[in-house]
Amino acid sequence: MCLAGFIILQLVLSMFLSPRFYRYARLVSIIGIALSIVLLSTVQTEPQYFGFKNTIMSDSYTLLFDFVILVCGFLVALLSRGIVKTIKQSAYTFHAILLSAIFGAMNMVSANDFLTLFVSIEILSFSTYFLIAASKGYYSKEASFKYLITSAVATGVFLFGVSYLYGITGSINISEIYEIVSSQEPSIMYSISSILIVLGLIAKLAVFPFANWIIDVYKGTETSVLAFLSTIPKLAMFGILCRLLVFPLSSTFELTFAVAIMSLVTALWANTYAIREDNVKVILACSASANSSYVLLAACLVSVYNLSTVIFYLICYVLMNIAAFAFLNMYGDRNPMGVKSFKGMFHKNHGLVAAYAVVIIGLAGIPITSGFIAKIYLFTAIANSGLIFVPFLLALLMLTVVALYYYLKILLPMFEECDKNTEVAVLNPVFSQKFVLVIAAIATVLIGVYPEKLIELCRFIAYNI
Amino acid sequence: MDILLSIPFLIFMPLAVSLLVMSPLFTANEIVVRRFTKGVCLFHFLYSILMLACFDPANPYVSEIHFFGLDWIQSLGVKFVFKIDAVSMILTVLTSFVFLLASFASKLNIRKNHKFYYSMLLLLMSAILGIFTAGDMFVFFMFWELELIPAYFLIGAKWKETEDSLYENAQNAKASAVKFVLFTFFGSMFMLLGILLLHYYNFTSNGILSASFSDIIDSTIPFGIQILIAICLVIGFAVKLPIIPLHTWLPDAHTNAPTPVSMILAGVLLKTGAYGIYRFNWQTMPESFMAIAPTLGILALVNIIYTAFVAYSQTDIKRIVAYSSISNMGLILLGLCAYNQIGLSASVFHMVAHALITCGLFMIAGIVYIRCKTRDINSLGGIAAVMPRLFGFSVLIVLASIGIPLFAPFVSEILTMIGALNSDLSDVIKYVSVFSLPLLILSSCYMLKFLHQGFFGGLNPEFEKANDISVHEFLVLASILAGLVIFGIFPDTILGMFS
Repeated sequence: MCLAGFIILQLVLSMFLSPRFYRYARLVSIIGIALSIVLLSTVQTEPQYFGFKNTIMSDSYTLLFDFVILVCGFLVALLSRGIVKTIKQSAYTFHAILLSAIFGAMNMVSANDFLTLFVSIEILSFSTYFLIAASKGYYSKEASFKYLITSAVATGVFLFGVSYLYGITGSINISEIYEIVSSQEPSIMYSISSILIVLGLIAKLAVFPFANWIIDVYKGTETSVLAFLSTIPKLAMFGILCRLLVFPLSSTFELTFAVAIMSLVTALWANTYAIREDNVKVILACSASANSSYVLLAACLVSVYNLSTVIFYLICYVLMNIAAFAFLNMYGDRNPMGVKSFKGMFHKNHGLVAAYAVVIIGLAGIPITSGFIAKIYLFTAIANSGLIFVPFLLALLMLTVVALYYYLKILLPMFEECDKNTEVAVLNPVFSQKFVLVIAAIATVLIGVYPEKLIELCRFIAYNI
Repeated sequence: MDILLSIPFLIFMPLAVSLLVMSPLFTANEIVVRRFTKGVCLFHFLYSILMLACFDPANPYVSEIHFFGLDWIQSLGVKFVFKIDAVSMILTVLTSFVFLLASFASKLNIRKNHKFYYSMLLLLMSAILGIFTAGDMFVFFMFWELELIPAYFLIGAKWKETEDSLYENAQNAKASAVKFVLFTFFGSMFMLLGILLLHYYNFTSNGILSASFSDIIDSTIPFGIQILIAICLVIGFAVKLPIIPLHTWLPDAHTNAPTPVSMILAGVLLKTGAYGIYRFNWQTMPESFMAIAPTLGILALVNIIYTAFVAYSQTDIKRIVAYSSISNMGLILLGLCAYNQIGLSASVFHMVAHALITCGLFMIAGIVYIRCKTRDINSLGGIAAVMPRLFGFSVLIVLASIGIPLFAPFVSEILTMIGALNSDLSDVIKYVSVFSLPLLILSSCYMLKFLHQGFFGGLNPEFEKANDISVHEFLVLASILAGLVIFGIFPDTILGMFS
């Protein structure tokens, strides 16, 4: 609610303030998000709270997701300096949209009603279209349009599934549907509707068959927006998806198998696509898609244990991803993004490149980073789901070898030595960017060395859902 | 005395020093960094000797680290636990010794980026020690993966000023480092699958949520699953060991790495694979190991014979040594496959002997390369005349490597054969043992070829001004030779720990 207030404040400010004060837009957002984080602690979680005529719920699960989303939003807002500078006069609008996207994402996780869920998805998606299109140039418009079309199709699929579900149960309230469904035998219509709903939701995660938007969108989008795009919608989608999978859609075998196949195909596609790519943004896009598919595979093999691994993985993953984009943000969007143009950077910026290296190593899943623990923890979940999923697990493990190759491709040129003739890109970081990168890198290492507390938290949340 | 002997100190001391050396506060002065590292390695070696002296095989060292009163990943039953039994103890001391040699050998081979080099060296040391002492599968796996980072840089980074003619070398080094990392990662993903399954089935069959080696009871796990797990694990270790056909990274990595790194790779890194097979398959899952041992024995035979022929056809000294390493690792694997006490002790003994041999041979290759700028035995020749001391060492080490009595490899090779012949598992192992005897002939073929073409014959006038070995190199070669002779005359120093 607080966030909604600040959205309105931003809008009002955008109308009345002269563009000269564009700098303060970021500040207002940051304060708004920080205040929301503080207010989050007052939210009632025990017992579950249902508000607005049972359309919104909150418990410790939603609280955790809201918290992580807000933290990501906070970091993204910190990174938005560059883009705000280029679009000056609409800075307030940009930030209002960013806040509304965060609002939509939080609302999504808390939705207890398919209608609310739909509206929140749309809030998030519409905001995202604008955020992608915010930076100047042809490619961002193209990216935005691509994203719009895919999202629209996916939303259609989602609504189609919901309509079936409504036809079966006569309700759109998630808890009511759960009660009705659990009392009757699962029918084939029910399986179809649940597959459609999941399909609609996972489009934003860039999972097959809705995967190929991600390449162009990442190519054309500004890095601070990418830091947003690769974290917040993903968190929100997985947040609601896991709840839906645990409750009303609780797994029919068809659903599990369909999702498992989709995630495997995605992992295969994303990892192999990235091998011949040269653009760092595109490689990270493929990595985002691949990571979604790993999480999705664990999430679809529904169990409380898996849920805790999914939450843990997501938290580790968003931190690393934001840090990676923070580094690219420092590097600057105007510069070429080919891996070769990063050549030799380590020798000019030891600390920052080292932090970036830690993060990329974490994404590849090498100790002593959180990525290593998260991968192992997630893969235990898949291994525990029965022998039938061992081939899936083996395929994923082999694909992480491929993934290591392209992560090395990003990383290694930076450590290369160049002769005096070649120009080495120099970073011009400001404090906020350094702050984001360093904080996230430190968190990555800390969780990697001492994961137990966070794992315990995730288990607590998962068991209380 | 017990208070002084701390396993975490043994393992994490190099890590801490590595971070210290890497930090910008530490001096960049080449000499200081090098001497400091040498001192640390020497101290570490003495410390491990002290631990060895106080070691009682019946009463292994165990140490567990808690994080704020909790286990490392309590929810998975993963404890940060270290355990040093006889095999671990021997390999720990060996690791410490090889790194000491490598730090001494680094002087002439490493010409730039000293801080980075020595910190990576120490980091690798920490990782390998962690592998040899881990008492928990996940801790083992963590160190296994951790070793990739320093190993990559040590193989692939540039440690010399590039001249134009050597540019291709640098590119090759980078490519072979990537190859090494990808191969190892490929294997370790199989290994992870095996570990995950073992962890899960141990939990469902025995109700123990733990990943410690001592908590795993394999007999209750369904046999098919056991075989699946064992195969996954063996593929992981086969990359490191290496077992044909997963060996192709090895000659490249060994050839392109600088000399001290080649010494470490062949000396201890390969042994992590054999150690993994011992720790996981041999010790923890004996039932499935007995089932797959004959197959592994045949693979070991292929290793021994095939690579010996390949080594004979090589002309680069380092490649000869690299292929002979694969051949010898086959012998180590054969010792493990025998699945009896003689086989095991022979296998560990051969790990030590082979580590010393390859360190010596790579050292010789490095010395020759620095002096003559080539490692091709066809273009060498006659250098015995200008480097008599190097020649003396080369003759002794080569003779040791082909299994002449009085040197350690003689004992270990013979013992391995005896162990395999005494194997109760299957006749296959016995046949393998018999058929692997030609190794002794083949190894003398390629080793003597190397000695003959490299050192005898007419002296190429280009090499007339080559210097003989320096004090550093003399120390390294002499200590290797001393080790070979001591273990050759008193094999009971190692074998006694297994009785």
